[in-house]
Amino acid sequence: MRIVVCVKEVLDPDAVNNYAVAGRLEIGADGKTLTQTAIPRLMNGYDEQAIEAALRLRDAGAEFTLCVLSVGSDPDKLLKHAAALGAEELISIQVDPATLDPQATAKLLASQIQASGGAEVVFCGRQASDDDQGVVPVLIAEHLNMSVVTVAREIRLESDALTIIRATPEGDEIVRAACPAVVTITNELGEPRYPTASAKIKARRVKPTIVTPAELSLSAEEIAPKVLLKQQFVPEVQGNCEFLEGDAAQVAGQLLEKLRAEGTLQ
Amino acid sequence: MSQQPIVVCSFGEGRDGLPPGAEEVLHIGRNLAQACEAPLMWVILGPLPERASATAGLYGVQNLHQIDDAKLEANHTDAQVAALAAYGKAQTPQAILVHQTLEARTVAPRLAARLGGAVVMNGISISPIGQNFEITASAYGGDTRVIYEVGPKPVLAFIPNAVIPEPGSGSAIDAEPFAVDLSGVEERIEVLEPAHFDGPRLDDADIIVSGGRGLGSQDNYSLIEQLAEALGGIAGASRPLVDDGWVDSSHQVGLTGRITRPNLYVAIGISGASQHMAGCSAAKTIVAVNRDPEAAIFQHARFGIVGDALEIVPELIRAASAG
Ligand SMILES: Cc1cc2nc3c(=O)[nH]c(=O)nc-3n(C[C@H](O)[C@H](O)[C@H](O)COP(=O)(O)OP(=O)(O)OC[C@H]3O[C@@H](n4cnc5c(N)ncnc54)[C@H](O)[C@@H]3O)c2cc1C
Ligand SMILES: Nc1ncnc2c1ncn2[C@@H]1O[C@H](COP(=O)(O)O)[C@@H](O)[C@H]1O
Repeated sequence: MRIVVCVKEVLDPDAVNNYAVAGRLEIGADGKTLTQTAIPRLMNGYDEQAIEAALRLRDAGAEFTLCVLSVGSDPDKLLKHAAALGAEELISIQVDPATLDPQATAKLLASQIQASGGAEVVFCGRQASDDDQGVVPVLIAEHLNMSVVTVAREIRLESDALTIIRATPEGDEIVRAACPAVVTITNELGEPRYPTASAKIKARRVKPTIVTPAELSLSAEEIAPKVLLKQQFVPEVQGNCEFLEGDAAQVAGQLLEKLRAEGTLQ
Repeated sequence: MSQQPIVVCSFGEGRDGLPPGAEEVLHIGRNLAQACEAPLMWVILGPLPERASATAGLYGVQNLHQIDDAKLEANHTDAQVAALAAYGKAQTPQAILVHQTLEARTVAPRLAARLGGAVVMNGISISPIGQNFEITASAYGGDTRVIYEVGPKPVLAFIPNAVIPEPGSGSAIDAEPFAVDLSGVEERIEVLEPAHFDGPRLDDADIIVSGGRGLGSQDNYSLIEQLAEALGGIAGASRPLVDDGWVDSSHQVGLTGRITRPNLYVAIGISGASQHMAGCSAAKTIVAVNRDPEAAIFQHARFGIVGDALEIVPELIRAASAG
């Protein structure tokens, strides 16, 4: 059995947020890209949890080869981390991400999964914290004619089927999907583990296979982006906060009075 | 521009006689159809919601289509995708617009793939540009906005609080059935236990009191519930509280939780990260209680109280109960 996890490199969303809150998030001269070079690049948080989901299946006794796959220009750090956690196969599809859109990315991932031996299960993050799109996993499923189950927080693998608890806004839903399937992972899965120091050293020996789009026999048309980023900007927040002063009882009283006077409260 | 229609597509169980977000997306669809001088069509999957015919009239819908089939149940996305792909092939719309629910997040990309069009999530607004469309969407959890140009025949999903719908006037129109053959579709996902939620929903709430990590411990979350009750509202939470199991995921407000639009949103011990604000920034009035005067939440708040939640909230409960 082979399980593939797709991981994406993103700008640290907390750092982006801190810059935004401080009013220092800036867009470059191209009008599209964030300029802060100080923002660390790291593995999309949900993708760390997608690897964790696979490792938990292994803890539960499932036997499989774990392949971690990334499309980007420099995913080395991500793939090393995956190897230290126990991935036996690492694949890096080398493309400048700025030339792609989610559909092209999904095409590349789906083709590579197929070309490298297929998968019984593909784990992805529920969405990437940069574009927030969440469409790549669904498109991978569509291209590979697999079923797709989103927002999984707990997964059981029984021979050739998965039982999955989904964390939906309506509460937990339990579903069953026959393999092969694409499953997206949500934060409710819980904390991903860290590799041990010795695993990190050993992982240096696992070398990623480097693939270029040309090797995947996809036509230029198939990986031409249909969604073109034309502009990115930082929205303004108006900020007209009235701070209430006094001790706890006083501010509480003032607030209720103001809300009632405005008609916000009856 | 051509006369190919703009299609609004609704599915999923509704409340108050309409599918979720139907009016928001009809509002966006009507404006886009006008800008493109194209007809507006509205397709509904499943049983016809009570208010569909009247609402179609109010938003200038020219054709209201209904695809009904026993296979089109909620959660049956294989059937939904097949039905909409057949519909899309027959109507050849310029664009298909949907309301972004969790279900739509699965259906829309697959539909786009089958129709050979682009797909974009988190849409806020849209306008035509030549034969293409320009769509403004949110990115980085709301820290930035992006403007994408998308090619013909896209499927576009709009976030629930993208607009405040403004119905026009117009008389009800009758639904026309649109027949599709779903006999060959076999649902690949089997629901063993459906999600079960019957409390009041954050999405519909007029008043929401949410707690964050600043509460310090799970026990203190009861203060949030008490304040919500005293104000006649319901209790929400930031993501860390869900991650730590203080409350279940139906309470989460934000980008990956509930997108709300209450009259009053009270945020207690919440820093105001963009991903949280994505679920509450459309509130009419935001009140924040936070120990840190520099907390981002105060940039969004109308009223702010700087102080310890554990001291302030009991007083708020008292003051609210006295009213
Ligand atoms: C892709 C992605 C999606 C996400 N989706 C969501 C989402 O849907 N919803 C969501 O909420 N988050 C989401 N997040 C997480 C988000 O970025 C923040 O990490 C989270 O909202 C922080 O929660 P918080 O404000 O409760 O905690 P913190 O950021 O830790 O803030 C705690 C606040 O409490 C204050 N405080 C501490 N003690 C006290 C006290 N005694 N009295 C008063 N105030 C006190 C502190 O000053 C601080 O401001 C997402 C993140 C990512 C990357
Ligand atoms: N460039 C990429 N390389 C590998 N996996 C990706 C890439 N982009 C997206 N994914 C996967 O698809 C998920 C959703 O991404 P997105 O559709 O961009 O929000 C991510 O969490 C990853 O699991």
